[in-house]
Amino acid sequence: MSSGMRFQGWGTGLTLLAVWLLLIAATGLYRPAFLSHQTVLAVSFTMSIVGVLAIGQGLVAISGGFLDLSQPAGLIASSLVAVRLSEAGMPFAVVIVGAILTGMAWGGLNALIIVGAKLNPVIVTLATNFIGLAALFFAFQLAEVPLGSTIHQFGRAKLLGLPAIWWPMLALVLVVGFLIPRTRYGRRAIAVGGNRMAARARGISLKKTRFAIFIAAGGFVGFAGVLFCATSGPFNPSSANTLQLNVIAGVILAGISLAGGRGNFWLLLLSVGFLSTIPTALVFFGLSSDTQSIFQGLILISAVAFDGYRARRGIP
Amino acid sequence: MTDATVPRSAPAPAPYIVPHHPVRELLTGPVASIAFTVIAVVAVGLIWVGPRFLSFGNLGIMGAFLIVPLVVGACAGFALLSGVVDLSIGSMVGFSSALFALLLTLNWDPWSAGAVTLLACLAFGAINAIAIVGFGAEAIAATLGMLVALRGITWVLLGPQGAIFSFNPGLSDLVNQTLFGLPLFFLVAIVLTVIAAVVVTKTRFGRHVQAVGGDDRAATRAGIPVRKIRVAALLLASLGAGIGGIVFTAQLGSAARATGFGLEFQVYAALMIGGYSILRGGVGNPVGGALGLLAVAGVSNILDLKAISPYYVNIIVGLLLLAAVLLDRMRGGDAYE
Repeated sequence: MSSGMRFQGWGTGLTLLAVWLLLIAATGLYRPAFLSHQTVLAVSFTMSIVGVLAIGQGLVAISGGFLDLSQPAGLIASSLVAVRLSEAGMPFAVVIVGAILTGMAWGGLNALIIVGAKLNPVIVTLATNFIGLAALFFAFQLAEVPLGSTIHQFGRAKLLGLPAIWWPMLALVLVVGFLIPRTRYGRRAIAVGGNRMAARARGISLKKTRFAIFIAAGGFVGFAGVLFCATSGPFNPSSANTLQLNVIAGVILAGISLAGGRGNFWLLLLSVGFLSTIPTALVFFGLSSDTQSIFQGLILISAVAFDGYRARRGIP
Repeated sequence: MTDATVPRSAPAPAPYIVPHHPVRELLTGPVASIAFTVIAVVAVGLIWVGPRFLSFGNLGIMGAFLIVPLVVGACAGFALLSGVVDLSIGSMVGFSSALFALLLTLNWDPWSAGAVTLLACLAFGAINAIAIVGFGAEAIAATLGMLVALRGITWVLLGPQGAIFSFNPGLSDLVNQTLFGLPLFFLVAIVLTVIAAVVVTKTRFGRHVQAVGGDDRAATRAGIPVRKIRVAALLLASLGAGIGGIVFTAQLGSAARATGFGLEFQVYAALMIGGYSILRGGVGNPVGGALGLLAVAGVSNILDLKAISPYYVNIIVGLLLLAAVLLDRMRGGDAYE
């Protein structure tokens, strides 16, 4: 079972890697200018925020919570806190901690409704996203980190030829992907997602696990909020809505089952990297940026159809 | 002893008969709670806004606004009932609106333009059906993909301007006709809702749809063609969205990027408030769904007339949605643990 699960993960990984390299090779052959440092910068820049959000989304999915549709509201709330703290002249560390705590509080609020009223997370987070974004519109119309502040410089800094915001994303994906199958908490999350009745019979508290997962996922949304406001310039409460679909697509392509219980977080690097390459590649093919949604949508449908086919046939 | 056993043995078969209290169900069922909600909204409107809330002018505005959601909701309700949620309906409305407007600007006559638009929507509905029913894809994720893909196709159709102006005086007159002071097509949408309700409750197809959504394995054993029913329900959902888009273009005389954007969440929130469930099939009724749409439209209309920020609508819709799923769970819906 365990070796089968690992093999399946690597199969998905190899497929993703092959498709990604194929896209890069095809675009590079058609327009050699594509293979440049500029492309690497654009792709890794797009990857950063989506990647961190995908960790949170993946945690919710793997533990059987399906989807967290309230990520845009949590992200904007954390960004707003980060902006207000840096406007008050707080050190960068305080700004980051404040944003993460905001995200965790948002996740905890979701968990309180989900666990307290025993309601499905998809509907609860759909409703809290409605409510949260509307409430945020009362809090502000347009916000921006102060020019020249540490967080503003962080959003534009480069490290080893890549955007500075890319490295924390890489570190978080690697650490979470390493810890999930190897720690008690990670295994509990997978067990609850795989079969909650069996997990409960083994003495795992479903309530505690749900709370832990949603608060942790909220923490990642909070950190993504730091990256978001550091890079986005002036933003309003609906600025983050377009990220959501890429995040969900990345989680599904990485083979993290929406039904819960299986998935390898390291594959997020491949799936999010592949999805982030599409917009740049399309520009080099001379296609308008509008066509990128067509490709992303069709890729998502094919991936889910393939996933369903594999599950139905019992192919590992 | 015998005194005790006789009354105990007499009602023994009772558990095998599902107790049926039509009057009690009328007062506690999903349609009742949404009907009370609508009555409460109307009462708040009458007290707070005054009699002009129920004036024909105001009802006409609400009615014109409700035509598309009613048609889209009545058809998408069949997919929900059969246990598959179609998130692509909002984008499908936008796509249909854009394609219809484009064909009109190419001097097609409205009838053939409408027919081609509906066929295109059915084709995309068929892709949904192949992925979900044929391959066993997760419905939420697959139709989310279709949502994104259709949005891209719509934007390509609309071109760099992001809008197509296709004002057609004949079409505009047709959709703006009134009967008894209300928009004609609003009354048509109401009749369509009633027909959908009759189909769901009184016909074989409707009962099959409910059975498939309730428990697909039991339905299979009962000899119901589960896959065919789900395919039909998904095609019906895309057909409804196609009709909705055509009506939009006829009403506005144009198609734009914002057309249909986010409509799926508004419609499904209202349908869930009206007693449907997007997570389990077999529950809900087109009349309840239509009342849910009326309640939400009433709330936004009241806030509009009182010049209150429209963001409050989203807060109220979100709270109503949470209340509705909580009620659904208390009526026997699945508890999430």
